[in-house]
Amino acid sequence: MNRRIALRHLALISGGLALVPSCDFSSDDILAAYDKLKITSSQKQLLGEISNTIIPAGELKGALDLEVPDFILVMVNDCLKKEEQDLFTQGLTAFPTYAKNTAGGRFEKLETKEKESLIQNGLKLEGEENKALSYFINVTKRLTIQGYMASEYIQTEVVPYSLIPGTYNGAVLISDTHKPHING
Amino acid sequence: MANLNIQNKQERTYQAIVIGSGASGGWAAKEFGDLGVKTLVLERGRNVEHVKDYPTTNMLPYEFKHRGKIPQEILDENPIVAKCYAFGEDSAHFFVKDAEQPYIQEKPFDWIRGYQVGGKSLLWARQVQRWSDYDFEGPARDGFAVDWPIRYQDIAPWYSHVEKFAGVSGNKDGLDVLPDGEFLPGYDLNVVEKHFAQKLKESYGGDRHMISARCAHINGPHQQFAEQGRAFCQNRNLCQRGCPFGGYFSSNSSTLPWALKSGNVTLRPDSVVHSIIYDDEKGKATGVRVIDAHTKEMEEFYADVIFLNAAAINSNLILMNSISSRFPNGLGNDSGLLGKYFAFHNYRAGVSASFDGYMEYTTSGGRPTSGYIPRFRNVKKQETDFLRGYAGGFSAYRSGGYNGGDRIGMELKEGLLNPAAPDGPWRVGSHMMGETIPKESNFLALDTKNLDPYGLPTMKFNVSYDENDEKMILDYQEQISEMFEKAGFTDISVRDDHRSPGLDIHEMGGVRMGKDPKTSLLNRNHQLHAAPNVYVTDGACMTSTSTQNPTLTYMAFAARAAHHAVEESKKG
Repeated sequence: MNRRIALRHLALISGGLALVPSCDFSSDDILAAYDKLKITSSQKQLLGEISNTIIPAGELKGALDLEVPDFILVMVNDCLKKEEQDLFTQGLTAFPTYAKNTAGGRFEKLETKEKESLIQNGLKLEGEENKALSYFINVTKRLTIQGYMASEYIQTEVVPYSLIPGTYNGAVLISDTHKPHING
Repeated sequence: MANLNIQNKQERTYQAIVIGSGASGGWAAKEFGDLGVKTLVLERGRNVEHVKDYPTTNMLPYEFKHRGKIPQEILDENPIVAKCYAFGEDSAHFFVKDAEQPYIQEKPFDWIRGYQVGGKSLLWARQVQRWSDYDFEGPARDGFAVDWPIRYQDIAPWYSHVEKFAGVSGNKDGLDVLPDGEFLPGYDLNVVEKHFAQKLKESYGGDRHMISARCAHINGPHQQFAEQGRAFCQNRNLCQRGCPFGGYFSSNSSTLPWALKSGNVTLRPDSVVHSIIYDDEKGKATGVRVIDAHTKEMEEFYADVIFLNAAAINSNLILMNSISSRFPNGLGNDSGLLGKYFAFHNYRAGVSASFDGYMEYTTSGGRPTSGYIPRFRNVKKQETDFLRGYAGGFSAYRSGGYNGGDRIGMELKEGLLNPAAPDGPWRVGSHMMGETIPKESNFLALDTKNLDPYGLPTMKFNVSYDENDEKMILDYQEQISEMFEKAGFTDISVRDDHRSPGLDIHEMGGVRMGKDPKTSLLNRNHQLHAAPNVYVTDGACMTSTSTQNPTLTYMAFAARAAHHAVEESKKG
């Protein structure tokens, strides 16, 4: 390659960068574990931030501590139809711009309250132009709840799951049911 | 060499061969074992030993990669079995995948199969209601199919025989439409289910009932099952995984280990039956041709008596494929009716509603059964513009209680971990179990050009709903809605899911029983009229379908027929 052509390439590359200065994943690796999706590692990080906003850590572990983002991507990769997978990844791809346009910055940098209202608004988005985004946020919330509640941690240490639910009682007075309060 | 062949033939010779190890074949094997008959049980699928081969039985929800959901790729590859309600990540290994045995749907038919030792008895819904004479007398009274050659009194002692061993929980409800049996204590109905039962009694002059459905579960500790190695049902509701307690009846937990313990019974898995051998000179069936599921090589086994319990459709297929010069159109098929008058249960419709009574109550624990509305239509006389009637499932549960809602963050988390007491209305639901009328135009036939992976002909299905079924669906929706209204239920909605025949998994007929060899294939003892050492005691033998879940009746048929075969052999 001669020097002139190399310089031209450099110009093209830097020009590209200049056009999309905040691009987060232009040089990101695509994660091979989710072979039906084209998800980059920074997209997975973003998904982690979103799921951890939906169920944060506190006294008890949060979504990110339980590797819920991995569960979400396994479910999307294995259990959704092609068109649903496309909507999900389109929504995930559109999310940074949505965050920037709505809250004025990168999702990761926002305050907790801002992150929460961004997701809550996202759950209610309507219209064809928001179809992918709304689908992505709703599926992410549903799978975050499922992945969190049906995790080994919750089902062994917090609310132990019993394979033997006990004898049926068809007339339990609700006033007689008491449950200890679990602080999240 | 000649001696070797003789020896080899002796080693392959038994007194009885039972084809199939599901609920009915298991019962034939058990009775033969108890009666000292040297028996070979052939099963086309792999071996499944009780407990040892239930890989998912004690798995916790988080141990399933997809938390119970079947991956989309598997659903796409298996559009037929994917429709079955019990096909999940915990049970998929007990279901036949579509490619294992293709078939031809000249009309849509969902054929749900379980090929392994124990068959579908591992997967069944375990509902066991007896037939009454209102059912057996149906065809004769209403002028369809042919008259059943037996009545309730013929089968009643065998119902008892089977119930005592299998373990059936239920209440003595004293209903002539649904005779009482040998019951362990029944399962409780909840407050709203009891309310509904009471309202029905008050509103319909004692002609309509809702009871706790009888189910093949051991309710409470009952010592007599310890001998089978079974303990009482723990209400896990994970039955489709196979039960480590043997809490529900399956061939695997009950009849098969019992039969093997007798020392008289040999079980041979991976044995796909090709056909029954008919010896023209001897004028009787002499054995069975078997394709080894792994090597695909053909072998023969011989016996004095053959019991065909391959499940309704495969029993038809085996007879159709058993060609000899005496029977060019299938074994025992002098009437030309083999495969015809095939029928099923109509499960298309449902009704659901809300109820805002008993708001101070909820339920706890688990229960392996639900409510049951026995048939009330056209029972004692013809009342409607369609023939026969339907039974209904019924259950009520309390809704609400989730604390998450629209919340997010710590609020959502606390809500999820501290679910509120139920605060929504009760929800009630019923599903239809309708009798269909067997017709000559609903039939199975072989396609000998399209072969399955074992080289066997494939089955062609020409089975569909008719006008009688459509009228019955509307009547079920109307009547159940009216019953719901009388009970004070609100927000009533009806549905018709337009499912194909077959998804009820109650396929019946094609080798029907009857009095006359010209119009039926089997006599009152389940013997082929034209080859009486061949017995068919699974769903294929059914002359009509009635409304009850049919497995209990097949089990009783198999036990009764096995005793008949032994009596016959004593006569020489």
